[in-house]
Amino acid sequence: MSHYSDGSFYNPAYHDSETLELDRRPPFKPRHSNPYAQDPPPPWQAARASAVSTVTGPRANADPWEGGAGRGLRALGALPLGPRPSQHQDPPPWQRPPHHSSVHGGGSYHDAAAPSRFPATFSANMTMRLRGMRRMSMFPNGDPSHLSITEGAIRNELEYEEQNLVKELMACSTKERIEGIRKLPMTYHEKKHIRNRVLASKSSKKSRHLSCLADCSESMSLILTGGMSLQSLRRCASGVAAARQALDLWQGTMKEVGGSFGSSVLSYFLFLKSLLLLNVFSFVVNFSFITVPMLAYDHVPHNVTFRGLELLTGAGYFRYTVLYYGAYRAGSFTGLLHYNIQLAYFFTIAAYMVLCGAAVLYSMASSFKMNYVLSDPVGGGSWQLLCTWDFSVTNEKAVRQRKNNLRIQLKESMSERSQGTRLTPAEKLRHFGIHLGAWFVSTSMAVGCGNAIYYLSQYEQQQATNAEDWSLAREAETLLVPFVVSLINLVVPLFYSLFNKFEPYSSQRRQIYALILRNVILKMSILGILCYFWVHEVAHKFSCWESRVGQALYRLVVFDFFFMMLGSFFGEFLSKVIGTRWIPGLGVPEFDVARNVLDLIYAQTLAWIGIYFSPLLPVLQIIKFLVLFYLKKVSLIQNCQPPRRVGRAAQMKTIFIALLFFPSFVGSLSLVAYTSWSLTPSRLCGPFKDLDSTFSVVGVWMTSLEGVPAAAWAVWVYVNVVRSEIFYFLVTIIILFITFVFWQVTQGRKLLILLLRQQIVNEGKDKTFLLDKLQALQKSHPTQHPKSKIKKQRRSGGSSTGVRSSSNAMVQTFLSVEQGSRGAHPREPPSPSHLSISFQRTPFASEGQPPSDALGLTLRAGQRAEVHQPWTPPASDPLGHPPWTPPSADPLVRVMRARDAYDGPPVPLDGGTSSGVMMQVMEARSRAEGGGGRGAPERIGPGSSSALIQAMLARQQAQNEYDDGY
Amino acid sequence: MGNKQTIFSAQQLDAYQDCTYFTRKEILRLFSRYRDLAPQLVPLDYTHQPDVKLPYELIGSMPELKDNPFRQRIAEVFSEDGEGNMTLEDFLDMFSVLSEMAPRDLKAYYAFKIYDFNNDDFICKLDLVKTLNKLTRNELTEDEVRMVCEKVMDEADMDNDGRLSLEDFQHVIVRAPEFLSTFHIRI
Repeated sequence: MSHYSDGSFYNPAYHDSETLELDRRPPFKPRHSNPYAQDPPPPWQAARASAVSTVTGPRANADPWEGGAGRGLRALGALPLGPRPSQHQDPPPWQRPPHHSSVHGGGSYHDAAAPSRFPATFSANMTMRLRGMRRMSMFPNGDPSHLSITEGAIRNELEYEEQNLVKELMACSTKERIEGIRKLPMTYHEKKHIRNRVLASKSSKKSRHLSCLADCSESMSLILTGGMSLQSLRRCASGVAAARQALDLWQGTMKEVGGSFGSSVLSYFLFLKSLLLLNVFSFVVNFSFITVPMLAYDHVPHNVTFRGLELLTGAGYFRYTVLYYGAYRAGSFTGLLHYNIQLAYFFTIAAYMVLCGAAVLYSMASSFKMNYVLSDPVGGGSWQLLCTWDFSVTNEKAVRQRKNNLRIQLKESMSERSQGTRLTPAEKLRHFGIHLGAWFVSTSMAVGCGNAIYYLSQYEQQQATNAEDWSLAREAETLLVPFVVSLINLVVPLFYSLFNKFEPYSSQRRQIYALILRNVILKMSILGILCYFWVHEVAHKFSCWESRVGQALYRLVVFDFFFMMLGSFFGEFLSKVIGTRWIPGLGVPEFDVARNVLDLIYAQTLAWIGIYFSPLLPVLQIIKFLVLFYLKKVSLIQNCQPPRRVGRAAQMKTIFIALLFFPSFVGSLSLVAYTSWSLTPSRLCGPFKDLDSTFSVVGVWMTSLEGVPAAAWAVWVYVNVVRSEIFYFLVTIIILFITFVFWQVTQGRKLLILLLRQQIVNEGKDKTFLLDKLQALQKSHPTQHPKSKIKKQRRSGGSSTGVRSSSNAMVQTFLSVEQGSRGAHPREPPSPSHLSISFQRTPFASEGQPPSDALGLTLRAGQRAEVHQPWTPPASDPLGHPPWTPPSADPLVRVMRARDAYDGPPVPLDGGTSSGVMMQVMEARSRAEGGGGRGAPERIGPGSSSALIQAMLARQQAQNEYDDGY
Repeated sequence: MGNKQTIFSAQQLDAYQDCTYFTRKEILRLFSRYRDLAPQLVPLDYTHQPDVKLPYELIGSMPELKDNPFRQRIAEVFSEDGEGNMTLEDFLDMFSVLSEMAPRDLKAYYAFKIYDFNNDDFICKLDLVKTLNKLTRNELTEDEVRMVCEKVMDEADMDNDGRLSLEDFQHVIVRAPEFLSTFHIRI
């Protein structure tokens, strides 16, 4: 591709596709003519593409029609390209190629009289397309036939468009309408204009309709007009939004962090914040439904003195407070209402777990949908260049650093590319061995840690059972296990990071995934061992074992907190000091998002497990997260530098939420469920001390309800749904079935996406090829002859509508005929008589035809030119299908064939009229592909242009069908 | 808040809220940010819709924009006159699109315009080179710049016309979910 073709030729290509889109309108549109006919793109399409842009630049790159045949046609004035001048402004000088400025015959179409509202409406349509309403055409009558109308008429059309938009907006619900207006990519004034029109027509339509949903916050006088319902609902919505924003904690901090460290580091803080909110919610629920009634019901003060160490161990004084399970007692009190503590305890925790699960699942699903499903596995330069710049970064230093990093990254990716890593089998084997070794070592470390913790816990438990006096020293001994656990959590990941440095990874992402996976295995094995120990040993040996587990969890949470602080001290502060003072080679550390987020997930897992054993554990968690937030913020700003690599932060976020769901939430849920289902509650304390299992509280409740007729349905549900296996079996089957169906749908969609993508590529190829051909024709053929011919025809047969509707089709016809004739006589100049005949007839024929027949006409003309047969009236072949096309052939198939031909190997030229059309296409295309196509236009085989037209037609049909189907 | 309301009439505020992604409070805050740029130019009473335009030099000096390599483009794209001089409405519009609430398509549309330096509705190679130079402080060699641009074109140009149309660009965006969080300026 020469530069010339890049600049001036591809422009119409774009419009070509626009044209096809335009033609997808419903059939009621008048004068539906050959999509080809629009090949000289009406300037508004350019503007439409450019939307708000005030300068419709690409028009300056005069397309072939302007330079060639088109100019002559336009000179007549009969060709409806007239209004062009009024529509686009003078292009900026840099866009006007010098060799074209002379071709722009007459400045008549650079009048620059563009009404200022044009871009606005174009962009309106743009939005409609953005919103997926592709059917809504910007120009309902925007065919070439309308090109000749005056500026006023165009304005009318735009007005009509705007009305359409307004109508469409009015058809939406109030909320959608606001969304729709907000989404318009227009300037504020244009949006406001649309909005006012919507409101005005709305209020005139339904004047006295009270919208019951909308009036909640609005006084009656305002609602009396329907238009106001928009506002009232908006007020409701904005009230909610304002409340949401009031809850938006630390906005300034977030801005600061995002401003200097970018969004990947920011995601850590957002994650922390959401966990904090989750804990606040859990605290509120537990406190208000369990603790407050308990305190109100009967609270027995105990006489243990507070010694201070309890803050660390959670034992001693706290043992007898409502912090733990043991302090709650069964019973119900009847004041204003009957309140059963047992039921409250069970259902509060169950509801909390279900809500948490739903929230995490929902956010995971939405994040997955957003970040994973559509994202491309092979991200490359385009992503790096166009999508990674973080607009939220406002710190000068950070900006500088980011630029540096991006440069380095780009260089790296280029060098990686040029190297093209090819590994010998030996190297592969070595890498595999290293990976295997690293995995073996890390997994055995995790297992070893788990074992160590198990034996340590056993030892500690023996100590505890031996001596029942709670001296300070004994109490302090209990700190051993949490200390070791937290130490392992701090130190072992460092080893893992070390392994990671030595392992050869093909991509950075794999490296991170491996690291995360190892850390998760470690943390989960530790927690799993602890849970196993609690459930199997503690639960059977202690009188009030739930409280003991609660205390153990308390200690773990507290120590985890201290070690997190230590971690940020050692991990960030010390390495900064080392990096800046002693070993400058190390440099300032980066904030390790992955490690920190995993710590948070671990902390949250503890809190979830603890919810049953210690309902007020979330208080501790809230304090912990609050302190951690500020600590991390200070540590980050003081010690760290922005991340060197711009990772795929969004995908990491999804992974973190998934981790929060899968091992963390599911694990703690199963532990809590197991505890309440099959473990016997302790006999001496707690709300469930007289029951066999926690869950049997529901059974007891149901038996008590049996006598109450009003609650019969609840009993029925309990017996037939909750306790029946068949129900769960059915539910499982249904869920599996639904999953299967959705999975199938997903597979189908994937395939569709693939096909559509392929189609885009193919269309691009088609476009390129056709444009090359056109260009070749333009160049090879002197334009004076046809122009004068056309001129004559125009004058003689100058009818108004028929000519207009078919005029562009004529151009096509002209081209195809011309080509056909040239193909037939490769060395001869085109015969004027040939042209004149076909042109004489074309407008004549189209006068009596519906505009869509212009296409067929074109085809036939081309065909005629190819086979050199006498012209037959179009009525004999009303569908306009060229005879060589099987009428039943699916358009797609046809396109495929054409494409196959395109991609197929070049076939030797023969140029004979007898060869198949497909062969012609193939030839022509391969030629176009190989040699740039411009060099040898005179060798183009006969009929190839008509075949091309056919291919394009078929493509368009296929596209229509695709569109409908979609 | 009561005294602040005299800045705008209720209708104005409603219109602002309907056309942008901001709440009343945010609009008032943005107004004060706008006014802080030039207190002597911007009146405190906006009920009569004064014709005030802040020049690009002031807009570009905002802390949110002043270090952004694309600040001039942003201002040009969002200003009605195309030169970066902004009215309050333009200003609101800009931060509305760059806010968290704006949908991806809207963001993609404006990002496309920002990267389209010569306003020809395509991101051509020249635009890419410009983007690249802005992002890397002109420190890549000519060869490297060319290679990167070719690579980008290669990957993103679906229809092979040698430049990126809005559709091509949206394709890239859809496959890069970070875009939503990175094309975002907090106010």
